[in-house]
Amino acid sequence: MTADPGETPTGTAKPQAVDLTLDAKVAAADLPPELVAQSLRQYLRASWLRIRSGNSGVLPVILAIVVVAVVFQIVTPEHAFLRPSNLVYIFGLSTVYMVLAMAETVVLLLAEVDLSVGAVALIGGVIAFKLVQQPGPDWPWWAAILAALACCGVIGALQGAMTALLRIPSFVVTLGGFLLFSGILIVILGGADATVSVSTSVPNQRVIYYMVQGLTSPVVDWVALAVVVGAAGTSLWLRAAGRRRQGLAAPPASLTAIRIALVALIGAAVVLICTVNRGTAIVTVEGVPWVIPIVLVLLGAWTLVLQRTRFGRYVYAIGGNPEAARRAGVSLAAIRIWAFALCAATAALGGILLGSFFYGEYSTNTADPGQLVLYAIAAAVIGGVSLFGGRGKAVHGVLGGLLIGGIAYGVSLLNLGNLATPLEYILPGGVLLAAVLIDVLSRRGTGSVNTHG
Amino acid sequence: MADNVRGTGDDGIPVTAGSGTTPTGTAGAQVVDPTLDARAAAADVPPELIAQSLGQYFRAWWLRVRGGNSGVLPVVLAIVVVAVSFQVANSKFLSSQNLVNLFEQSTVYMLLAMAEIFALLLGEIDLSVGLVMGLGSVVVAELVQPSGLGWPWWAAIIVTLLACSAVGAIQGWLVAKVKMPSFIVTLGGLLILEGVGILVLGGTLVGIGNSRFTNEVVLYDIFWGHFNPLVGWILLVVLVGAAGTGLWLRDAGRRRQGLETPPRSLTALKIVLIAVAGIAVVAICNVNRAHFGTIEGVPYIVPIVLVVLGAWTVLLQRTRFGRYVYAIGGNPEAARRAGVSLASVRIWAFVLAALTSGIAGILFASWQVSLTTNIIKTSNSYVLLAVAAAVIGGTSLFGGRGKTIHGILGGLVIGGIYNGLYLLSVSSQWIDVVVAAVLLAAATIDVLSRRGATGQA
Repeated sequence: MTADPGETPTGTAKPQAVDLTLDAKVAAADLPPELVAQSLRQYLRASWLRIRSGNSGVLPVILAIVVVAVVFQIVTPEHAFLRPSNLVYIFGLSTVYMVLAMAETVVLLLAEVDLSVGAVALIGGVIAFKLVQQPGPDWPWWAAILAALACCGVIGALQGAMTALLRIPSFVVTLGGFLLFSGILIVILGGADATVSVSTSVPNQRVIYYMVQGLTSPVVDWVALAVVVGAAGTSLWLRAAGRRRQGLAAPPASLTAIRIALVALIGAAVVLICTVNRGTAIVTVEGVPWVIPIVLVLLGAWTLVLQRTRFGRYVYAIGGNPEAARRAGVSLAAIRIWAFALCAATAALGGILLGSFFYGEYSTNTADPGQLVLYAIAAAVIGGVSLFGGRGKAVHGVLGGLLIGGIAYGVSLLNLGNLATPLEYILPGGVLLAAVLIDVLSRRGTGSVNTHG
Repeated sequence: MADNVRGTGDDGIPVTAGSGTTPTGTAGAQVVDPTLDARAAAADVPPELIAQSLGQYFRAWWLRVRGGNSGVLPVVLAIVVVAVSFQVANSKFLSSQNLVNLFEQSTVYMLLAMAEIFALLLGEIDLSVGLVMGLGSVVVAELVQPSGLGWPWWAAIIVTLLACSAVGAIQGWLVAKVKMPSFIVTLGGLLILEGVGILVLGGTLVGIGNSRFTNEVVLYDIFWGHFNPLVGWILLVVLVGAAGTGLWLRDAGRRRQGLETPPRSLTALKIVLIAVAGIAVVAICNVNRAHFGTIEGVPYIVPIVLVVLGAWTVLLQRTRFGRYVYAIGGNPEAARRAGVSLASVRIWAFVLAALTSGIAGILFASWQVSLTTNIIKTSNSYVLLAVAAAVIGGTSLFGGRGKTIHGILGGLVIGGIYNGLYLLSVSSQWIDVVVAAVLLAAATIDVLSRRGATGQA
């Protein structure tokens, strides 16, 4: 690992000269800084050490988002990029990438890959839309959504079972799944020219239509923000205080306070941006779109599942070293099947949101399943998820998806003529390569290089 | 990807110790069943090298198949199943007219699969082959435009192949030198290439179908042209004669020097098989396949595909480069310690993959006749089918196992399914479903056949 390729190792069991400071640094870099820091200054120093050692976490993607925002704000005509209406639109545009990237993350954490998320997402969307059709099944909206999630969950479980039990590479299984479900999608849709849509005139369908397009009233937004920040802040503070009282490792009080302030600040900024009137003087368009709390709840749920449950710990364990996890008594097959099932169910939600984003209409032109999956993987990797398993979080998918959506929309704002379409492909590709390049270079020479090949 | 669990009892491979027993140390002596060992060894050696007679050869070959080294057998069976079932469903399927059509439809899959195999053999993946093809098709068409650059066709082809190879070199450099995962490099690469392809196209339509310009006619004829029937026969006689004489003389030479040689009857059988296959191809192609007028003769794409197949087979099976590719795919660390330069072999493999995709691109331009932004976008959809064709053909995704011929056979299966279902006027979504089923079946057969094998995970 630390040896350069030209050096021949002198035997694995032999004692080697180890730089102790380096070792201590690497160990410190592996621990979350909250656990070792006693003061804010120590926390910042520990965070910096962690970043220096290659565990840069969300920092690169946040920097990239800032760069993209600043650059597009400067180059777009009338400096329109950061207008509230555009920011809200970008979030809607990015939703499907964010949700699919979160779905892909859990599979990537296992060092597997799911190439079928795009097709499965579209199938989920079409199932939900079909089930609320008025002359037709006319299911209640919640039953339709649950049915779509369940169907796709079963699809995912089947693919997971082929990977986990038969040990066919997930790349092949989900490549087959991609082809299979791309075909079945059109069958369910009812032909290559068919469309299925939900409208606002039917109360039951309106809910699905509003999942992305719907707006909440500004007053409700501020009240909800106050409640959420109050609840989150109190629980954060009480938990830290409780840990401190019991003598457990706890983050410094100043850090907790800063975190609460940050949550409040970001929340206030989002609500402020969304409650500006983005319509005209005649038609008022204001309020937080439903999709923002939906994505946040999904992010919270995935973060809890991955960081705070036994399932999540096992996912990281298998991704880090499957053999070690197996010997520790983890059932590899069960975790893998569940991961694929949850991935597919999350993807189905993404598909429903995609249909809602396209003003409640689904057709074969809505999205190309192959393109969706490539963008989803790109979003997860740009966000900071490793392709080799064991490293990544749900929030990485959200940030990566936001970056891709931001670039796509920013390019479309520029009056580039013939250059617009090419740049929509070139920029995400370039960002993806740059993200991984930075990741690889920052990891090089720190001893935590994932030597591949 | 997470494959190091194999062979540890996780999936029931007998590693001599039951999963309940604790190994007593890796260096300790283990009870080994000698017959098992001999059989495993036999299954590892090509049957030509141990067989003294034709009967022995078939027995050794069968042992090899049983041992999990089924080679091209499953895909050949798949082709037979595809052919028989479609022929039963529609008697036009095996008509000479349709078979030529089928080959034309399979050409791009075959070439892209042969390209992908270079990456797969190394245990890498190249997701960009589809768009390298797309880029190549646009570049070659743009270069010969009389209203634009108006280059001669040969210069356009050379520059196109160089451009595609350069793309491969850059991607290979990022994989081999910068150590970025090939999945990401080629994923980013395909996004960028999609943009570049649309950029080169310039938002308009570019065609090569104008019969007034010689350069466009030559490009058009690469895919759609064919030999005169008589020339087809003459070429066949020359080729079979040369191949047969070469094979026979090589074996005779080896026998004279007392080296391991396949039995004489086997060599004769091989030559006869080549001749029969060649005669069948030429006979089929020489039937008039036009509805009105005459279209007959072997299409140029048949020798083009065969030349690529031959060149890459020789490169992979008979040169040092080929041996290094298999060595790296089998165990990169072992190859490195044996003195193989991992980086240069990897870069060259990606260059060759991109070069082959470039050849596919020239054929693609000729096939499509006129290119639009949408066609560039569709060229991306070929990548997953190219991987599928390689895997269906018998190439492993984990490196070290596979041959160029697998791409041809897998491409024929996919082209055959497309063609057959189209003949039955099945809508295109079901075609994807059937291809998926074949891919999953191929992978399952591969995994299961290997599982029964001794220690071969």
